[in-house]
Amino acid sequence: MKVLLLRLEAPLMAFGGVVIDNHGVIDKLPSASLLTGLLANALGFRRGETARLQRLQSRLCYAVRGDRPGRMLQDFQTAQLRKDDKAWTTRGFPAGRDGGAKTYGSPHIRYRQYHADASVVVATRLDPEDDSPTLADCASALTSPARPLFIGRKSCPPSEPMLIDLVEADSLSEGLEHVPLPGNCDPQTVWLYEQNERADDASLIRLAGRRDWKNDVHQGTEYWQRSPWGESS
Amino acid sequence: MSSRFIQIHWLASYPATLLNRDETGLAKRIPFGGTIRSRVSSQCLKRHWRVAGQGSVEASKAHPWSLANVGVPTGSRSKEVVERRILPAASAEINASQEAMDSAKEVLVEKLYGTKAADIKQRQALFFGDPEIEYLAQRTKEALTQEQPEAVTESLKSFFKDERANLRALKHGAGLETALFGRMVTADPESNRDAAIHVAHALTVHAIERELDFMAVVDDLKREDRESDAGAAGVFDMELASGLYYGYTVIDIPLLVSNMAEDEEAAAKVVEHLIHLIADVTPGAKKGSTAPYSYAEFMLVEAGSSQPRTLANAYRKAVTIRDGDMAESAVSALSSHLARLDQAYKTGELRRQLSVLDTAIPDCDAVSLDELASFAGSHVGVNRT
Repeated sequence: MKVLLLRLEAPLMAFGGVVIDNHGVIDKLPSASLLTGLLANALGFRRGETARLQRLQSRLCYAVRGDRPGRMLQDFQTAQLRKDDKAWTTRGFPAGRDGGAKTYGSPHIRYRQYHADASVVVATRLDPEDDSPTLADCASALTSPARPLFIGRKSCPPSEPMLIDLVEADSLSEGLEHVPLPGNCDPQTVWLYEQNERADDASLIRLAGRRDWKNDVHQGTEYWQRSPWGESS
Repeated sequence: MSSRFIQIHWLASYPATLLNRDETGLAKRIPFGGTIRSRVSSQCLKRHWRVAGQGSVEASKAHPWSLANVGVPTGSRSKEVVERRILPAASAEINASQEAMDSAKEVLVEKLYGTKAADIKQRQALFFGDPEIEYLAQRTKEALTQEQPEAVTESLKSFFKDERANLRALKHGAGLETALFGRMVTADPESNRDAAIHVAHALTVHAIERELDFMAVVDDLKREDRESDAGAAGVFDMELASGLYYGYTVIDIPLLVSNMAEDEEAAAKVVEHLIHLIADVTPGAKKGSTAPYSYAEFMLVEAGSSQPRTLANAYRKAVTIRDGDMAESAVSALSSHLARLDQAYKTGELRRQLSVLDTAIPDCDAVSLDELASFAGSHVGVNRT
């Protein structure tokens, strides 16, 4: 099968997790929704094309090799909001701000987490292969994208071309073997992340990685296992 | 060669400053390549470019290159959104009579541009993006299905009356700041305007250089009072950092033009202004106590359509004073890194640089700031997909 190999590396990256309050939390590995958004951005999909996005996401399977874990960085952000801020909506009435006027006296505070100095390789396939867009379409879109690419947040531009190669392989992890480890990583800390159907093992990583694009919310839980790279096969 | 993206790299030095603080009051940091660097966040940079360092968009008019001072051409397409965009989109799939279209046009022009809008050149500029155009076109289309001109007028007028507050907010958001920086409404993603600019967090090319400045406050009134003790009225500390920062920004040209009602000329001016703002607007806090004002010592502008990428990896190995002059070493490191990327990927961007230093990127014209800004602006409208 065809496998698309991508390098995700930047001084700051955000593998965004489920956000409930003003803390922008991150996960250890990128979600399917992040990769869908990334490819869709390169292909020039529009925000409202939820059916197209959903279809692309449903075809996507991937595995991740964490070459450099990096460190978690938490960024502090303040924004002075005003009670009378209004924004137009397509629903016919403007969106305003809830709460009393006094609550807007001090700025709104957000904490956003990022991975600092991390680097991962992602091996992706699309199933069925010959539906549009194909992996070859994705590869050429990544080289010359419709819009600038970013890894999780717009303030996270990549450090190098994301496309590594499009290869033939028998499995995702075999696809990853096509990519040599970079010189500046410690082989002892390189992990392989693969999706796991079992849900009963406490050591598995839980990821709410798939998004309902129309309703703009992540749904369901996926289970991922990690193993030291070089242990399997 | 066509250009979808403009990439802007800059090196600026800020000695003994506290540009951007975290919640503990210390300079923001970032670990990179095994060393901690000081950092200026993306949101801090964006805000200061938006208000040209003056604290508000109103006050930013004092800066000649602020967004508030972008001169909109008299013939701007943003003055003709009704004729050029809304009506054509509304009537695309239906068979509307000329009378119906004229009725619709009259209402739209009056409601959007005001009562004296017959002379197109006198109209204000409305920088609507695709979401606004689509919304108005959809409503206009519904009105046009009434067919009879009077009914069309009635339908549109009542739409504007019913949604008065919504449309006031819609016009309010039709400025240059929204075109460049976007606007997000969590309640309604379809009305989102995506930012045409991506700003990376700036980081120092070297390990963080900081000092905790200890200060005591003298109370002169206390000194006059014989009964009082000789202690200070207050003791404080403030972290000061010195840094040569590397920053990176990408402009998405097709999106910028789309966000500006397809006015390429005005979009080119916005790009020119932005280059000037990046060169000399401080992102800094503590203006009174540190005077954090600097001009960029080096800027590189690239125009192309390959996947944009930061050159931060040139600094994974932190520059040190042992390498000689830090700024010269920084340009040198950028130059080698760029050469390696070119050899591996052959992306073929067109480049210009600005430098006050001796070291320069080879095979790249060195120009003044005005020329650099013009070069960037000239790539708006060359090709849009």
